[in-house]
Amino acid sequence: MIAEAGHYALVLALALALIQSTVPMIGARLRDPALMTLARSTALAQLAFVGISFMALVALHVMSDFSVANVYENSHSLKPLIYKITGVWGNHEGSMLLWVSILALFGGLVAVFGNNLPLSLRANALGVQGWVSTAFYLFILLTSNPFLRLANPPLEGRDLNPVLQDPGLALHPPMLYLGYVGFSISFSFAIAALIEGRIDAAWARWVRPWTLMAWMFLTLGIAMGSYWAYYELGWGGWWFWDPVENASLMPWLAGTALLHSAVVMEKRNALKVWTVLLAILTFSLSLLGTFLVRSGVLTSVHAFATDPTRGVFILLILCVFIGGSLTLYAWRASSLKQGGLFAPISREGALVLNNLLLTTACATVFIGTLYPLGLEVLTGERISVGAPFFNLTFAPLFVPLLLALPFGPLLAWKRGDLAGAAQRLYAAGIAALVAVAVLWAWTRGGAALAPLAIGLAVFVIIGALTDIAERSMLFRMPLPIALRRARGLPRASWGTMFAHLGVGVALIGIVCETTWNSELISTLKPGDVAKVAGYELKLDAISQRQGPNYGEMLAHFTVSRDGRPIGAMTPSKRSFATRGMSTTEAALMSRGVSQLYVSLGDTAASGAIAVRIYHKPMVLLIWFGPLLMAFGGLLSLSDRRLRVGAPKPAKAARGLQPAE
Amino acid sequence: MTRKQRRLTMIGGALVVLAIAVGLVLNALRDSIVFFSTPQMVAEKHVPPGRRFRLGGVVEPGSLHRGDNLAVTFKVADGSNALEVAYKGILPDLFREGQGVVAEGALDAGGVFRADTVLAKHDETYMPKDVADALKKQGHWKDDYEKAAKPGKPMQGASR
Amino acid sequence: MSLWFVLALMTFGAIFAVLWPLGRRAARQPEGRESAVYRDQLAEVDRDIAAGLIGETEAAAARVEIGRRLIAAADAEEAAAPPSSLRLRRAVAVVALVGVPVLAGGLYLRLGTPAMPDFPLASRMRAPAGGQSLDQLVAQVQAHLEKNPTDGRGWGVLAPVLGRVGRFEDAAQAFRNAIRYDGDSATRRAGLGEALAGAANGVVTAEAKAEFERAVALDASDVRARYFLGLAAEQDGRPKEAAAIWRAMLDKAPPDAPWRPLVAAALARIGAVAQAAPDGASAKLPALPEGAAAAAQGMSEGDRAAMIRGMVDRLATRLKQNGDDVEGWLRLARAYMVLNEPERAHAARDDARRALAADEVGLRKLNEGLKALGIDG
Repeated sequence: MIAEAGHYALVLALALALIQSTVPMIGARLRDPALMTLARSTALAQLAFVGISFMALVALHVMSDFSVANVYENSHSLKPLIYKITGVWGNHEGSMLLWVSILALFGGLVAVFGNNLPLSLRANALGVQGWVSTAFYLFILLTSNPFLRLANPPLEGRDLNPVLQDPGLALHPPMLYLGYVGFSISFSFAIAALIEGRIDAAWARWVRPWTLMAWMFLTLGIAMGSYWAYYELGWGGWWFWDPVENASLMPWLAGTALLHSAVVMEKRNALKVWTVLLAILTFSLSLLGTFLVRSGVLTSVHAFATDPTRGVFILLILCVFIGGSLTLYAWRASSLKQGGLFAPISREGALVLNNLLLTTACATVFIGTLYPLGLEVLTGERISVGAPFFNLTFAPLFVPLLLALPFGPLLAWKRGDLAGAAQRLYAAGIAALVAVAVLWAWTRGGAALAPLAIGLAVFVIIGALTDIAERSMLFRMPLPIALRRARGLPRASWGTMFAHLGVGVALIGIVCETTWNSELISTLKPGDVAKVAGYELKLDAISQRQGPNYGEMLAHFTVSRDGRPIGAMTPSKRSFATRGMSTTEAALMSRGVSQLYVSLGDTAASGAIAVRIYHKPMVLLIWFGPLLMAFGGLLSLSDRRLRVGAPKPAKAARGLQPAE
Repeated sequence: MTRKQRRLTMIGGALVVLAIAVGLVLNALRDSIVFFSTPQMVAEKHVPPGRRFRLGGVVEPGSLHRGDNLAVTFKVADGSNALEVAYKGILPDLFREGQGVVAEGALDAGGVFRADTVLAKHDETYMPKDVADALKKQGHWKDDYEKAAKPGKPMQGASR
Repeated sequence: MSLWFVLALMTFGAIFAVLWPLGRRAARQPEGRESAVYRDQLAEVDRDIAAGLIGETEAAAARVEIGRRLIAAADAEEAAAPPSSLRLRRAVAVVALVGVPVLAGGLYLRLGTPAMPDFPLASRMRAPAGGQSLDQLVAQVQAHLEKNPTDGRGWGVLAPVLGRVGRFEDAAQAFRNAIRYDGDSATRRAGLGEALAGAANGVVTAEAKAEFERAVALDASDVRARYFLGLAAEQDGRPKEAAAIWRAMLDKAPPDAPWRPLVAAALARIGAVAQAAPDGASAKLPALPEGAAAAAQGMSEGDRAAMIRGMVDRLATRLKQNGDDVEGWLRLARAYMVLNEPERAHAARDDARRALAADEVGLRKLNEGLKALGIDG
């Protein structure tokens, strides 16, 4: 009954989404308040039903009901409970259901917290959400239905891929989806604005918290995925420019641009047309990311052939939403009124530069990801575009972006004073030069670019701190006053600081890790000692252990430095009987923000074991950076000006409302 | 500055950035893309030594030899030809004889493929897509691979 | 609560969600205003001035700009919203009342399987199995027995299966449980003995022999027990006794007995000194060199382990010198697996592959054997 009830709830959610996508929009056209408010209740009911459906699938996985094909294919009765649950979204059908559940969740949030929106905007935006939901419900029900049953229920499931049985990956897809799907709100608002033909500074303020929220989740999701790859895949890499990763990076870049252009629009009523376009593009890239990863088309065009209905459906959804929204944009954008003026050197100008560089960088990633696909379709030639391509295109675009980053917040709106800003950045510039000089002297003969890059990162970090110091007039006023001023600053200013700080911190981590990491691959026997970057790792013993659904071989290392033992590391190799495959569990030891990393390879003929040992200096900064960025986003989100659903000084406004 | 001038400045700036980006992309596409080949294609095309490419195929059963200090050699076959591959390092967990594999590297003077990266995919029935397509074209294809191969799984690799 | 009742309840919920706002005509919906945002922005400019974040001139310019937006927004909002149309509301209500159940019901009946009940792990145990792989069945039954450890018949079913898939120690335990909870029988004693012998890598230990003797005591015609007693005699270095037992079996055997060739082959093996590889089931149980096993009888556990160890080591040495014996390699790998030393088994595998690199047929045979042992890779 659970399976069938869940299935029916999903169908009901589709029916409600259909109503949500039509009736409120008709209501908005005819200015009928009752029809417009229908958006709210249908969005909430839709959330309830898709929630029931999702919980039903979770329950089926937990109870190991193998009469459900999806459970049979992706679960196993002996799997630990937590992975039974995470296995729900570890497969195509389940992840699509999670996707649409999150979509409904955001729709529900708009319905609940959208009281500060004009009725017609809310109705139209929720209506557009309804379209997206409808398309996804149909996709799920017709091509990827997780509730299909097996007439002869098998007795045991086929297990979840052991690589996916990891706590990091349990959280990574939901985070990523919260990000992807969160951008659907800005998309819906953009389409709603195009339909109404009117867009103003207020629009940006309404959209910004949603964009910010999506951006935060996406930032965390990407960082989490990168950390997962780092410790689970067992060879210490954290970013591979893999199509799957690029698919999440593209919406992030576009979303970051959107976040910044929405500021301009909110403050100056400028860049309206561009912001709407960015909102559409960001969600389009999210859709592209979701589908291209899921359909496997990025690894090969022929993947489409394995399941034509699914492939055609995906193409259809992409065409309708991306093509349709861009057409609507082309048609209506000219009718949007021009906004405020500004000089090229100004806060607006800096944000335009930011947008320009971010979108261009996004475009290069797009080309690098899709060029092989296009080439294969056109010529049949198969190529792969790897890290060298992105290092040669993406990095040069980020250098000017980071150079300009500290200037932006110091420039005034409308017309800025570049010389003044430069003057205030003296300290940051000098700190950066000192960092470069020191590193150069220290690593003489080493990589020439690394000290420069770290200098750039220092510039960004000190620049971000300078901005907040300027605002609180630190060093210019007595300390207590400055502190009081600092406390009184809008939280968004603090958010900006933390986010920009995060960029610099992540850059330091990236540069240090790639330039100065040391690696040792060797075969060790118990009793052998390996030396890496001043650490000595002694292999004490090799032992066996039985886990819940795998056997495990553990290697016990004692780590010492300068003869003093500082800890133990036990990397292992797990073999999963059901799938007949094994995974490598690396052992990590953090020393400050640097890490030692040990992973195991095969056992050699002599009984010695192959071991990979890395020392990765400053590697944790790579993920602290995004954490700081997300924290900055959270601070901005809590700013009273943006607080979602906080009733504006509405008493005065209500006086304007006509009595019925 | 008038509105028009301002706009021209902005558009000019945007065009400069775009031009630079296009230049970068074209330059990178010329230098850093890597072609995919099967042993048969290598034999037919006479790939010069030192040029990087990706080699895909099936690890020939029984061809895997482990030498000292993690050096391994194995043969990658596609049904009609086989190519000797030398690699030093730890192979990915899923590397197995008789399974599909993709190696990246270049031929040396002796015609041995010196790989610096070996990739296998996270699925026991997995056949890397590149390999599957190439094999399919040559008619050495097992249908069950196709059914079993699920897209979207993360790649697993080993690299020096 | 039947399924249909739940489905109906959910349908009502969905329809209610649509009808509810339509019925609340009088209630004024809270609505945000654009002008509210601009008022807030004006207030913010004041705050920024108070905090000294912007200068007076900038503030004045900002106020002018925001004021312009505020006026425009207020103008747009002046137009009163028309009252809701009753006709439209009725139309939507009808759509909801009819459309939702028809659409949802229609689509669900096409896609769903309402007649099929849930089939969770718990209830699955009771259901009959069919067409399942052996491993799945074993896991199945084991899970069941973990919860009902006194189900003797369950143990009785599981035990021989475990023996067949090579899990001898588990099999022995299962036979013991079956005997404890469901009574003794010759078949079970013989099975236990076989499992014990299998666990000792084919050596019919004293313990195993005792079980076979018990089996024969229960049923003198138990074929398996007698065959193994013969094997025990052979391993003990008494080939004549072994031959006598087997010959007696063959004499009484019906001509179409399926085990006839096996026993005949065993007989031939001890008759002819030539070490022809036995076929069939006995391939699992390599005969020990004469004399060696004799010593194994009556040894303590530790001594016997040491002896087995020594034999395995001798085999390993021999194979190192002359590596083209596929069966030998497999025996060695299996021995290591039995001794619970998978690393050595893997090492043996790699050595074997290297030694047999030139021998294609041998290599294939080796890989098949290794697969059966579960250490191909």
